[in-house]
Amino acid sequence: MSNLLEFLTTVRWQDVVDILINSYILFRLYVLFQGTNAFRVLVGIASLWILQEIAASLGLILTSWAVRGITAAAAIIIIVVFRNEIRSALQARNPRTFFWGSPHPQKVSSIELIAETAFQMGKKRIGALIVFPGKDDLSEVIHGGIPWDGTISQEMLNSIFWPKNPVHDGAIIISGDKVAEVGALLPLSQRQDLPTFYGTRHRAAAGLAERSDALVVVVSEERGRVTVAKDNWIKPIAQPEELCQLLRQHFNLSDGASEKEKQRHKLKMSLAAALSLIIVTGVWFGFTRSHHTIIALSIPLEYVNRPPGYEILETSADEVRVQLYGSSALIRSLRPGQVQARIDLGKAIEGRNTFRITQDNISMPPGVSLNRVEPSVVEVTLDVPVTREIAVQVDWVGRLPDHLIMVDMRVNPSTVQVIGGSKILERVSTIYTVPVRLDTLSRSGSLTAPLILTPPSLKMAPGSPERVTVHFILDERN
Amino acid sequence: MLWRSWSLIFCFLSLFFMPTFSGDGFSAWAQDRSVSTPGEIHGSEAAEQRLTLRKSTMCERVENLRPVRPATVFSASVGQVSAFTAFDPVPEPTLIFHRWYHRDELSTQTRLRLYPPRWSTYSMIQLRETDKGPWRVEVTDENGQIIKVLRFSITD
Repeated sequence: MSNLLEFLTTVRWQDVVDILINSYILFRLYVLFQGTNAFRVLVGIASLWILQEIAASLGLILTSWAVRGITAAAAIIIIVVFRNEIRSALQARNPRTFFWGSPHPQKVSSIELIAETAFQMGKKRIGALIVFPGKDDLSEVIHGGIPWDGTISQEMLNSIFWPKNPVHDGAIIISGDKVAEVGALLPLSQRQDLPTFYGTRHRAAAGLAERSDALVVVVSEERGRVTVAKDNWIKPIAQPEELCQLLRQHFNLSDGASEKEKQRHKLKMSLAAALSLIIVTGVWFGFTRSHHTIIALSIPLEYVNRPPGYEILETSADEVRVQLYGSSALIRSLRPGQVQARIDLGKAIEGRNTFRITQDNISMPPGVSLNRVEPSVVEVTLDVPVTREIAVQVDWVGRLPDHLIMVDMRVNPSTVQVIGGSKILERVSTIYTVPVRLDTLSRSGSLTAPLILTPPSLKMAPGSPERVTVHFILDERN
Repeated sequence: MLWRSWSLIFCFLSLFFMPTFSGDGFSAWAQDRSVSTPGEIHGSEAAEQRLTLRKSTMCERVENLRPVRPATVFSASVGQVSAFTAFDPVPEPTLIFHRWYHRDELSTQTRLRLYPPRWSTYSMIQLRETDKGPWRVEVTDENGQIIKVLRFSITD
């Protein structure tokens, strides 16, 4: 018990947020992709991955190798094959839907369209008979249907039920967002209690409703009224919204779903959320709480926030060797740029400054901890940049011909203006040219030679030449 | 290692001959310190005068207080190189230094004594293979004030 409490005290608030965010991401992925083929394949890939881990832990070399290959290939295949499904799931028309709500089913728009069209046809006195199948197979009770397979639109519904259309007397069968069949013949109801003004369409609607779980919408040609038949009831509908409500209930859609369905849906979502939380928590602890792997890295030391007007003259170390520990998964995934060592020079002063390297100076990915750093202390010497005039000297190399001697030489200009740290420039009294070979000289003359600035932190002052002219006088050696 | 143990330090305290110069060339005549010469200055006049370097050059060697083969580039095979300086006037006995630098690193330093009324002196170093590169000799007074910088190179 005490171990558990001790363990819980090591969990930071950031860890809790980390787990919650990733659980929610997993849950949202489930919500967005549930019911799609892509989701089923994702579940398959996850199963393969688990199988691979089990095979690897059991030492099944060939199995783990083969499953790993299949998993890798499947991950690519899912993106290619199900790109349209993935796109439609991720394309958020409304950001709120993407982050919070459920994906809006296509059926809803079809339902609204059909409801609206039914009432329009009623106003125009166009009769219509529309069947919304439930779970029952209707092939035994419906006859004479002509396959149509057309996506639902207002224009198409109007044209199907147009009085001069040969199939306008029959019923249409809705399947999803399509008209599956037209001109279908429905069984007539034998009930005696139906109002006398109900014609054949109403009796057909009631007949199918009695014999199946289908919902049938009737538009009266004579009265223009919209009526719905379901199970043993048949009732007129006054508003399109009311029809929509009934259709939603029929399809068990969220708005009109029964209380039982709602509860079932809530339970399903809660289970998914809990499962997401459990999975992510397990993965998180697996990733972050096993500190058995240690790695040593050499990383460059960055000196930042240098006070204005100062230059770094000298540092005792340009890189540090850090020893890090964490879970093997995190340590294995470490990349060079993820670990950085920085020294803040904000409070440094001119001259030598000593800094102790602590955990605060090392930035690491979350879950990775610092074990040791070498060196633990660095010295940084800051200096003020100044301009100084420094003499130029030719760096002769090679050998003059034996019979010659260089009796005189002048460099133009003989001095140059150089900018650098004051302490560096105190130690620099000569700027040398690049090595100039003597071997090719045979008589007096002149040449030009570039200058070399050493150390490289030095730079020429504006206006100072990068090259000098060397005039030399050769004489015969006597 | 500031001082080169192998360097030879020559300090000539005007034996009996002293070189002097006239115009661009050298001329030497016998001169005893106790003997006045036409160029010698006495009393308060001498005190007002300042130590002046009249001639300075790098050379292969010095013979009879004359620089032999003055040059700016010397082959290491020559074996030695000398820094020759001639002062006129020398108002009072004083010290000067020849500081030899190899690529800005002080290699050796020679302390030389000067005596009135004029004085020539030199220092030299023996050359090694590792001495190749640019050199300079700073001629300074006893306070370290630079009087002259002689630049030269040691090559193959």
